[in-house]
Order: sequence, then C-alpha cells, then structure tokens
Amino acid sequence: MPIDIVMPQLGETVKEGTITVWRKKIGDRVKADEPLFDVSTDKVETEIPAPADGVLAEILVAEGATVPVGARLAVIASDGRAGATSATPATFSPVSAPTAAAPAIPMPPRAASGPRDRRRRSISPVVRRLAATHGLDLAAIAGTGRDGRIKRDDVRAHLARGAALECSVIPFNRLRRLTAQHMVRSKATSPHVLQAVEAEFHRVDAARRAHQAAWQAREGFELTFLPFIAKAVCTAIAAFPRVNAVIEGENLVVFGRIHLAIAVDLGHEGLVAPVIRDAGSRSVAALARAIRDVAVRARASRLGPDDLAGGTYTISNSGVFGTMITAPIINQPQVAILSTDGICKRPVVVEGPEGDSIAIRPVGVLAQCFDHRAIDGAYSAAFLRTLKDRIETTDWTASID
Amino acid sequence: MAELTYREAVAAGIAQEMARDPNVVFLGEDVAAAGGVFKATVGLLEQFGPRRVRDTPISEQAILGAAMGAAMTGLRPIAEIMFSDFLAVCWDIVANEIAKTRYMTAGQVTLPLVIRTANGGGSRFGAQHSQSVENWAMAVPGLKVVAPSNPADVKGLLAAAIRDDDPVVFFEHKSLYAVKGEVPDGEHIERLGTAKVLRDGRDVTVLALAAMVPKALAAAERLAAEHRIEATVIDVRSLVPLDTETILREVVKTGRVATVEENPRLCGWGAEIASIVAEECFWDLDAPIVRITTPHVPLPSADNLEDATVPTVERIVATLRQAID
Repeated sequence: MPIDIVMPQLGETVKEGTITVWRKKIGDRVKADEPLFDVSTDKVETEIPAPADGVLAEILVAEGATVPVGARLAVIASDGRAGATSATPATFSPVSAPTAAAPAIPMPPRAASGPRDRRRRSISPVVRRLAATHGLDLAAIAGTGRDGRIKRDDVRAHLARGAALECSVIPFNRLRRLTAQHMVRSKATSPHVLQAVEAEFHRVDAARRAHQAAWQAREGFELTFLPFIAKAVCTAIAAFPRVNAVIEGENLVVFGRIHLAIAVDLGHEGLVAPVIRDAGSRSVAALARAIRDVAVRARASRLGPDDLAGGTYTISNSGVFGTMITAPIINQPQVAILSTDGICKRPVVVEGPEGDSIAIRPVGVLAQCFDHRAIDGAYSAAFLRTLKDRIETTDWTASID
Repeated sequence: MAELTYREAVAAGIAQEMARDPNVVFLGEDVAAAGGVFKATVGLLEQFGPRRVRDTPISEQAILGAAMGAAMTGLRPIAEIMFSDFLAVCWDIVANEIAKTRYMTAGQVTLPLVIRTANGGGSRFGAQHSQSVENWAMAVPGLKVVAPSNPADVKGLLAAAIRDDDPVVFFEHKSLYAVKGEVPDGEHIERLGTAKVLRDGRDVTVLALAAMVPKALAAAERLAAEHRIEATVIDVRSLVPLDTETILREVVKTGRVATVEENPRLCGWGAEIASIVAEECFWDLDAPIVRITTPHVPLPSADNLEDATVPTVERIVATLRQAID
C-alpha cells in the first residue's frame, strides 16, 4: 500500500514548514528511518526520516516551497508503483497531523488481521486523548491490558511516575482566553499606578465578634471583613466619586450609583467579577448577603450575563490566602480597582491623652491601582485616606444593618 | 420506614395520591373488586369507593379512551393495562392521541394521566405476556417513561407520575412484585428524570433498569469478590426524561460503560444511551461500549429457554469480565 508523506507537526505552535532539500530522487529505493528530506520552520531545522521501506514514487512539493502542516509532500510506494490517490498518510509525531489536508483514507482491509492483532494495535479514545494532551509517546508506555493493550490507568500511572513528562499542555478554555485578552488589553490601555494604605481593623473586628454567632445562626455563613470594606469603599466613593467612573473617548463618565464588581475565584479554574447593583445604598448586612449570593452562584456556574455587566468599581480579595499586597489589574472600562489582602494582628502605636502606648490590632493593606489617564495620585491618595479613616473610625458594631 | 413489597408499594402510592387529590381516579380490568391480577391494587376500592376505583370491560381501547377523556376534562386518571404486551392493542390512543394532544392544542389541553402496566419476563408467561416494551414508549415523543426497580421507587415515582401534567407510562416489573424493601413513612415522592447511583466502582459503569437492577447489583458483588473488578451500578429509573447528567458523569469516571437491558436487542433503550455516550464522551472511553440484552427473539415459555434469553447474573459477570481488559 502506498504511503503519503505529509508535512510533520514540528512543535506545538508551528503551522508550516519549508522543504530545504530532498535526500532521495523519484524512483530511489528508501528504507525506513533513512533520511528522506530536510525541513526548516521558524523554530527548527531538521531531517525527516522515511516512515517505511519502499520506493519514492512521487515528489509533490519542490525544494524551497513552504507548505502547511499536514500537506502531502511525497508518496512512497511499496512495490515501486505510484498509487497517489489511495495512500495512507504517515505522521511523525504522537500528535497526529491534521487529516483535513490528507487525502481520503481508505478503510483498512477487514480480513487482514485477526481480532487479537487488532486489539494489540487498538488505542482507546481516552488513551489517545491523554497522549495528545500530555505529549506522550505511547510506545514508551507498558500496557497491562489483555495482549498488552494500553489502558487509561496505564497512562495515568505513567503520568504519575513523571517518566518522560517534561511538560503538560493545558489548553485554554473560553474563560481563560477571555481573561487573558482582557488582562492584556487593560494593561495596554490604562497606565496603572499602585497606591496602598495600611488600615487598622479593630472596630470591624469588634463588630464581627459581636455579631458573628447570631449571624452564623441566622444566615448560615460567616460574616467576613469584605462587606465592611465594601461599605467603607462606598462611603469613600461618595466623597471621591471620580474613582467610580469609566473613560469614554476624552471624557471621564462619573457615575452617581455604585455598581460594585467583586472578583470571585472559581476554585483556581478561572476568575469572574459579578456585579452588586447599587451597592452604595446597601447596609453591611445586605452587602454580605449579596457578596455571598454572587460568589455561590459564580462557583455553581449560575451567573447570567446581567450579573457580569455594568460594574463601576471592583474589589479583588486575596485576603483569605494571607497575601500582604496585590497590585490588581483594572477591570476595563473602569478606572480603579482595590485589592484587600491578609489582615493579621500586629503591635501598633496608639496615641492617647496619656501619651503613646502599644496595642495589638488587626492590620491589613488596602491597595488600589488607578488609571492615571483618569485621575492623579493625590486624588487616589485622598480617596484611600478617607477609606482608611472610615474603616478605623466607624462604629461598625452599631451599624451593620 | 416500613417494609413493603413492590406490589404493596403500588397500592400505597396510588392511595397516597388519591387521598391527597380528589381528582385522582383509577380504572382497569379487575383492578377494583379483585384487587388486580397481580394483587397490586388491593384495598383501593374499599378505601376510595366505586366512583373513583372502577373495573372496566376487557377492552384496552376503552380503558385508555376513557382515561384520556377524563384527563382532558380535569381529572387525573390512573389507567392499568394488565400486561404491557397489550399496549399494542391500544397503541393508537397512546402514540397518536395521548402523546400528541398537548402539542396539537398548543398547550391548551394537558393530559395528566398515568398508564400503569405490568412489564417484563422471567415468569414463564410466554411470548405474548412477557415482553419488555419500555423502548416502545421511549420512541414516542410526548410520553414520559418510568420503570422502577424497588418498592420505595415504585411509591415515590408513581406519586411523581400522578402529579405530573404530562402522560407517563409507568412500567412495573412482573418478576419484582414480590420483592420487599424499605419505603419511607409518610408522604413519599421522587423526582421524574433522575437516575440513582447504587454502587460506586472504578472499573466500569453499569446501567440497568427495573428487574435488571438487582441482577446488575448481584453481578457487581460477584465481580468484586471473585475478579477484583469494581463496578458502578446506576438504576436509570426514567428513560424519558433521561438523566444524562448523572449517566455521563459516571461513565467518564470509569471510562467504560455497559448497559443491562431486558429489551430485545434491536433498538433497546441501551442503544440510545450508547449513542449518547459515544457522541458526548467518546474521548473519555477506554473500551468499546457493551450492551447486555435479550437476543432479538420472541420470548419462549419453557423455563430453561427463558433463562437462556433474558440476561442473568452469570451472563452479566461473564460479559463484563470479558470486556474489562
């Protein structure tokens, strides 16, 4: 049976290759693994061996020509005769070249091999997929199934041992792609400036301790620091509304209402920022419930398009992991984003009428990145000072509802 | 929890719904005074009286025609077809009338009725009284199709079928009527269209229905004890709607799937599931899909021959052993 020689896939991202030299002429006898031609791509220059014994019957692509991966280059005939229309494509890598570019593949002759032979050669769909995903050479994996068949568990065991595995390829899903595009666009669009303040959370902490037991019993989830910070952000925005805005052309569109986007991590499998409408009119308790609601729905993939649209300011919370400071990327087309990081107890100097003393207080960093096209450092700093002031001086215990 | 037989669970399910909703009525051949030929409806006449529990002439067309009319005019009838084989006698009313009315009236007329019927082989009743025909009903758009494997599901799914606004064909399995099982006390209702994972294994996912469920479970225990093969066993419970979410999730976990069907092989329900699995999770399969079915023959009446046709525990064990390599 004649064999089609196709342009091999020489690397994950390579789409085409150039034939630099044919090592054989039409009519030459070739042996398997003998150099057949050389290919150059934008990544490598390499020699390609013949996949089987035979006679080089046809050369379809001349030296110097560049063709896409999978394109037919030549035909090797087993008996010296060309059979250009019914060749079996030969590939050179465990990741098959796209067959779209190859000619129609004939059905294998049914009687040619017994069931035992078929079984030995058969690779199940899941094994094929795992091999392609992880870039594995199946010849290197010992099969434990009947007649040496490679089973899914054999591939998993092979992967677990880490043998031959230098990297794994995780294809971007839709969310990953969108996030990647958004992040690049945001950094390219907005000149980011990072500013941070350190805030003392003793009054928030007192409110949490005062309300936690009743809250847990009534609401069924924990009252965290985040709704207090969200409330303080809303009151600070009331004083400095230009952080609650978008840029349109050469205008800064400043919003009267605050639609607060809250970044939610989907179990390390992606990031979304659902929006809490009119957050400025909500109490701490109402914000706590709204944040909980969008987070739960985000993780259950039950957010609608409306939940993700129309945010005017974003809070990103890495605090649960105990980070110290995060420089977040602005959620376009907004102009500012706040990161809340880990809050931990520290000795702080307290100034009182009887002089200075040292107290133990929960302290955390609030870091805002703003778009320097929209506002300047002094404005952002004044906003942050107000935010810090609201967190430290509000009597939160008396004002969660 | 009370221990009921499968047949007692039928009566308990009907009684629960008749007590709850005065619009629920029940009719069929010998279902009232005699309590049903399989004694699955004993006591309903005494409890609910002859206006709501009626014996009918021996005419399947009359039974379903009456049920359809009653449903169109506001009742929630339960109609019994004694043997599911006899559905062929009144199939025009099922397939062309009952299944189509809601669509053809643009939703103006709903048919909240249940067709209960005794289905399946294993009782030496011969070719005309032993068929498993749940796949007939599955092939008609507009019908819901349920086939429970145990007393608790009989009561809970029957209650759900009666409360559903669409026609439901409810296949009870003749060879299971004497089987006992725990049934929750008080009102018990299940959700239509949900499969149940009965056993968790890592090697193969076995899908079974009705009388094949206990056989699949027994086979799974033997495979574990004798061959160290651990099978997940799923009771499909409802063919329409089909719980593809549970089925595909469990198939992907093991990478192998086998169906155990009492239908004759061609167009048995497992063929539809095999097709869905091949389309939806081909790249997660580690072996060809396996169907264990009754061969495509009329069922014999002789003991030894019937046992050679309907899938047995031994056949399930042997086939799965062969398939898992």
